Amino acid sequence: MGAVLEGASVGQAGQALVDQASAAAVRESVRVPAPQSDAPRREILFRRRVSLRHAIRELWHFRELIVTLAERDLRVRYKQAVLGVAWAVITPVVMMLAFTLVFTKVTNFSKYSPGVPYVLFSYIGLVPWTFFSTCMQAGGLSLVSNVGLLNKLYCPREVFPIAAIIDAMFDALIASLVLLVLFPIEGFAPKVEVYYLPLLLIPLMAFTLGVTLTVSAVLVYMRDLRLLLPLIVQMGLFVTPVIYPPSVLTTSEPVLVAWSVANPLVPVLDGLRRTILEGLAPQWIPYLAGTASSLLILLGGFILFKRLETGIADVA
Amino acid sequence: MSAPPVGTIEATEVWKRFRSDDRPSYLQDQLARARDRVRGRSRPSYRWALREIDLRAAPGESWALVGANGAGKSTLLKILSRVMYPTAGEVRVAGRVGALIEVRAGISPLLTGRENVFLTGSIMGLKRRDVAKRFDEIVTFAELEHAIDRQVKYYSSGMQMRLGFGVAAFLEPDVLLVDEVLAVGDAIFQQRCLDRIRTVLAEGATLMFVSHDLAAVEASCANGVWIHNGVIQAMGPVRDVLAAYRAAVEGEAADSRPDIEGLLKVRDVHASAPDGGLPSTGGPLSVSFSLHAEQRHRAWVYLGVSEGAATPIFLINPGRETTLEPGETQVQCEVQSLPLPSGRYYLWGGIYENWTNGNELIGWQPLTHFDVYGPELDAAPRAVVRLSPLHVESSWEIGQAA
Repeated sequence: MGAVLEGASVGQAGQALVDQASAAAVRESVRVPAPQSDAPRREILFRRRVSLRHAIRELWHFRELIVTLAERDLRVRYKQAVLGVAWAVITPVVMMLAFTLVFTKVTNFSKYSPGVPYVLFSYIGLVPWTFFSTCMQAGGLSLVSNVGLLNKLYCPREVFPIAAIIDAMFDALIASLVLLVLFPIEGFAPKVEVYYLPLLLIPLMAFTLGVTLTVSAVLVYMRDLRLLLPLIVQMGLFVTPVIYPPSVLTTSEPVLVAWSVANPLVPVLDGLRRTILEGLAPQWIPYLAGTASSLLILLGGFILFKRLETGIADVA
Repeated sequence: MSAPPVGTIEATEVWKRFRSDDRPSYLQDQLARARDRVRGRSRPSYRWALREIDLRAAPGESWALVGANGAGKSTLLKILSRVMYPTAGEVRVAGRVGALIEVRAGISPLLTGRENVFLTGSIMGLKRRDVAKRFDEIVTFAELEHAIDRQVKYYSSGMQMRLGFGVAAFLEPDVLLVDEVLAVGDAIFQQRCLDRIRTVLAEGATLMFVSHDLAAVEASCANGVWIHNGVIQAMGPVRDVLAAYRAAVEGEAADSRPDIEGLLKVRDVHASAPDGGLPSTGGPLSVSFSLHAEQRHRAWVYLGVSEGAATPIFLINPGRETTLEPGETQVQCEVQSLPLPSGRYYLWGGIYENWTNGNELIGWQPLTHFDVYGPELDAAPRAVVRLSPLHVESSWEIGQAA
């Protein structure tokens, strides 16, 4: 190898050293200094502020998503089931028949509501009860079962339980249509006091929404509570006057008011029977107590939900 | 504070910590935790997943997020998509977010492909008619013309991938977050995904791209962030950040095994130009090392050159079996013409008892590194992924056809 070539190669090597040094300088230039502290400053700590107005506005913005989710769940449910929409009717009807059989043969509740067929009595209790218990179970599981979606994109998390409630409403509506058949069969006409219905729906919806939101958020943190849900629903059937009138247990008004506060479904179910079947007005004091209680439960449930919401992605 | 323009990503002093006890989320565990806390036995322990992350991406910018597994890349992406809340700091993302994170996770297997498209659309905040406008494009991209009305559970995993990708990338996101989605899917689909990402960028969206495929990252992004243990290490032009990242990772890989010992000992590894200077592009590279053997071995010697990873750019071997007598054996190898552009490279080696599948005498491992002087690697066109950085001489003539 000639001296010239050798010289060239040395020259190149010298240049290369410079080149590598400048490359290292470039690498250093993009370096970011390490944080000075081990923990964030207090002022920047994330604090959850629940603004009711903002939350509701955001929920409104995502209304189309709620509809889509509700529609998805309906489609999935009825696509899987051979009998389709009929399922919405079958559950309450079968329960009604069973309870009718038991409670007209074994014991007789008819004496508490003379002249009212037990079939209608129990069915009118079972439809809202089925609605409530479906919401608590399906809505309660809605966050857990939608983890895939939850972990992908932001939306206010309450859309999932609310969509489940809308589904249950749809089912309840179909189940209510059965009444159009039951009334003629029993030869009984609903009373005109049915116009109280919207008033009675307020505590029903508020209570259902409050409970569903609470259950769904808590369930994310304590997964095994889902095993407890069916038990709670079964017990609920007995502490709620679904298949019996409240007067079976108590005729004292203070006790009834306390019961209504603890379980806002009490005045709802009693009110439904009184208005539709007996043509009376609801018992106002238990009704107001139950409504106030249900609104508080809704508010508390919503705030709890919004607070727990921030950690869902961490534990889910 | 005025709203930032659509497509802006802003993270200011973001910190995120996770509970570090791995107790699952069951009632009994919560009770046990509460009991411990009441008795003052254990305080909840945390670990920081992200520390003081400051990041600002203007509309239309493309950012790569690189780092080792568990560095906090996905956590950051989740925080940017607002799915996860930061422990401290502020995150602002303006505009519609399209997230290619766990692409198949958000798909409902019981619904048809069509229903899934609309569902994802409304989660992204799109109106039904806006989704309908883009519907045909999505179907064409995902090649699902014949399957779009079939339930997704009957889709192959590739079809699900295509559907998920199509939905997120075609619904006109202002911000596109991509997390390691290219790992699944075949080479052709990967290329089409990169093409699509480029188109979305060209339409003015902001891109945040997480991947371990550094070549793909380099091809798609102009800027880079390197995160290590939840802390930003480097930020800036993607090439410089990747260079810093590679240097660190490779240094680690090379330093991790100071003693090169197996059944043989490797000593005095040198890789340089024959005159001892730096090798240059197109010039010779000389490699020498000595082997110490306890007993007689019949061996196949392999050498490879890589950018740091175990996958070499090229491999060389003597083409024949070598007999190693007990004692020292000197190995000399010369590469006549090194096809590597300027940069730092790593020499890997392995010695085996048999052709291709013999016992390891020396496992495949980095031996040393060397710097090459020469021309810079030519930039690839956007969204074209180059497998290996090779410098090839070529001459061209382009003129009017006669």
